[in-house]
Amino acid sequence: MPWSRREWLAAAAAGALTRKARAASAATVAVGRCSSYGPAVVPVMATMFGQLGGIAGLVSGKTVAIKINMSSPLRERTGFRPAWFTRWTHPDVIGAAIRLFHKAGARRIRILESSTEDAHPLEENFLIGGCDPNALLKLAPSVEMENTSGLGSGHDYSRLEVPGGGLIYPGFDVNHSYAKCDVMVSMAKLLESPAAGLSLSMENMLGIAPVTIYGDAAGYESPSDEPYGERTAIFATGKRQPPHTSPAEKNPDSPREPGYRLPRIVVDILKARPVHLAIIDGVESQTGTRERGVRPVKPGVLIAGLNPVATDAVAAAIMGFDPMAARGKPPFENCDSTLQLAEEAGLGPRDPGKIKVLGLPVAKARFPFR
Amino acid sequence: MTGLIPFRWPAEWKDPSKLALLRGTPINCLAGQAPPPFPTGDLKFIRLEKDSPPDGIAVRAGVWPWVLPPERDVAEAGPTGAPWVDSNVGTIHMARTLAPGKPVWLTYAPPAAKQGPPLSSFARPVAEAAAHGARWVITLNERFVAGLDAGSGEALQAWKRLAAALNFFERRPEWRNWEPVAALAVVSTFEGETELLSYEFLNMAPRRQLAFRAVLPKGVPHTSFDKQKAIVYIEPGPPEGEVRKRLVAFAEAGGLLISPRGIVTTPPDQTRMQYQFHRAGKGWIAVPPDAWYDPYLMVRQVHLLLGHRLDVVRVWNGSDVGSYCLASPKGDRAVVHLIQYGAGPTLPVTLGFDTPYRVARVTTLESERILKPSRGELGVEFAVGEFSDYAAVELEV
Repeated sequence: MPWSRREWLAAAAAGALTRKARAASAATVAVGRCSSYGPAVVPVMATMFGQLGGIAGLVSGKTVAIKINMSSPLRERTGFRPAWFTRWTHPDVIGAAIRLFHKAGARRIRILESSTEDAHPLEENFLIGGCDPNALLKLAPSVEMENTSGLGSGHDYSRLEVPGGGLIYPGFDVNHSYAKCDVMVSMAKLLESPAAGLSLSMENMLGIAPVTIYGDAAGYESPSDEPYGERTAIFATGKRQPPHTSPAEKNPDSPREPGYRLPRIVVDILKARPVHLAIIDGVESQTGTRERGVRPVKPGVLIAGLNPVATDAVAAAIMGFDPMAARGKPPFENCDSTLQLAEEAGLGPRDPGKIKVLGLPVAKARFPFR
Repeated sequence: MTGLIPFRWPAEWKDPSKLALLRGTPINCLAGQAPPPFPTGDLKFIRLEKDSPPDGIAVRAGVWPWVLPPERDVAEAGPTGAPWVDSNVGTIHMARTLAPGKPVWLTYAPPAAKQGPPLSSFARPVAEAAAHGARWVITLNERFVAGLDAGSGEALQAWKRLAAALNFFERRPEWRNWEPVAALAVVSTFEGETELLSYEFLNMAPRRQLAFRAVLPKGVPHTSFDKQKAIVYIEPGPPEGEVRKRLVAFAEAGGLLISPRGIVTTPPDQTRMQYQFHRAGKGWIAVPPDAWYDPYLMVRQVHLLLGHRLDVVRVWNGSDVGSYCLASPKGDRAVVHLIQYGAGPTLPVTLGFDTPYRVARVTTLESERILKPSRGELGVEFAVGEFSDYAAVELEV
């Protein structure tokens, strides 16, 4: 699909396509005002990529994997509001990134998500959600989709080791797509999470764990053929181990509490599969959790950064939370702070004083979720 | 026999005073093992005996249509972890296919009162059967009978609701001649070694909102498949003779024929989802890698081969809702029957269609309203909202 003149000018002016990403920008987070989906998203995202130092150096000639958030249930809406607006990364945000990555020279762009319901091709899950996948697949010549809940189009699972051994798991077996990519993008929604406090770019990566291995119906001896079930028994409550063929957790005597386990597993996954670019869709979202009740909202922001910890910290601040909060304080009432654990693991800063925010200041972007 | 609306007279009711309940309802027939011990006027009596079904009626057992409640010591989830739904859709369509033109009666009794459904939901089996072109032989449980005997408000209200469901369908006789809207045709004898697989296919397809029409092989040469995009032939072996000729012609005209191995002897042109795809004219013949044995997997595979893009009705927030779409002969009107199998009201349901319907009338057992569509990514959408047990969505192009 050709770019409009407006999109080209915005992207070029922001230097989104041409400049190379600077190492110094790791703790830089860009925040953009984006009041609605549609054509407005591309120029805003282009400006933000420019503020991050450009993406050409990151994606040019590379295979870019985009882990979106399209969590189950696939057929559930918040009231009448489609999940694209409330729980899932909106297709316009995915599309904007595809366009910018393609124009910046990405060789291959792969949209990834694992369904806990089925092994459908991801394209089918887009249709179930009420969206035409072709609109995204046709944006560039080399766009693909894969449901990574199992083997997908791969023949074997790929082993990702956690450098330093990990907090819970020393490694993970994942769909080949997460190993055979040069650039990992976590594209999340601006959301709270009942179990991990925040459901942002870091928690989004929990979904790279295949359901055939880490789902409640995973095999014991080996991965199941068919994926289904949440990642509760293995990840959240630790009631069982993954199949014998995958790395078992380091210390089965560690607490079995989800609030202890999930934040640490998120950190392990991030160490095993580093995220190069975090993008958070906060144009529209929903506040609350399923347990507390949810309400569709329009924060009207996009957030992006080259470091997922810093990006999530800024997003948390925009949501009205203190990124420095420890367990017991919102939004970590029921869990340890993933931000704190990630910072302690050396994955990036959560301290607002150590993060440079470009674009819309946090004070102006603030949209309290509670 | 077609116009009979049966009610199983409770054995507890020994005198005719309760016949007054039937006034204002379309019930015109009593059914059971023995007639009531008093004159019943114009009410016809149909004897229902286990091994001797009445002439002209296809009698099937059936199950109470609901999501099995968690306190029961039985399976609560299907293969996907979704709630297990007991429905009669497969039973009805198989019976209608095997005995075309014959009324289909379902004779199941409600669950025992202790663990049974609320009385208000007795309208659901009435609606489920009627929506799919059958009749439930209305059967009350002890609690319902006792409630009516005592004149309880709950029981009387539930009876009125049940009668409202009957009246609703009786006021719309034209629907009985409308055709199911389906991109998929299921061709099977529904007998012998294939019976379980083909019956379960009809049973499980609605759980995925996969619309179908069922056709016997002997009916294939005389059936138009113009409105179908795919046909699945569920038999142990491939079709032969005239049936094969007709089904292959369907593929050659651009359709997808899914058939057991042996229908094609040439090497496949491509492989998708492990199915071997053979080019046939403008269309395809797809052959499974092995003989089908698991109906759940088979339904899923067929649905994916067809693709969700061809879903007739898209249902959101309806995890325990079944849909069935019928269209008028001209195609300018349609109705989607929505059966809610869970307890309590649904979540706010949204329906989506490729067809650009311009207006919808939503009728529940309590209310009626007109809806204008909103534009969705894949077509038009209607915000149907919440309902209990049953809703009809009447659509106009």
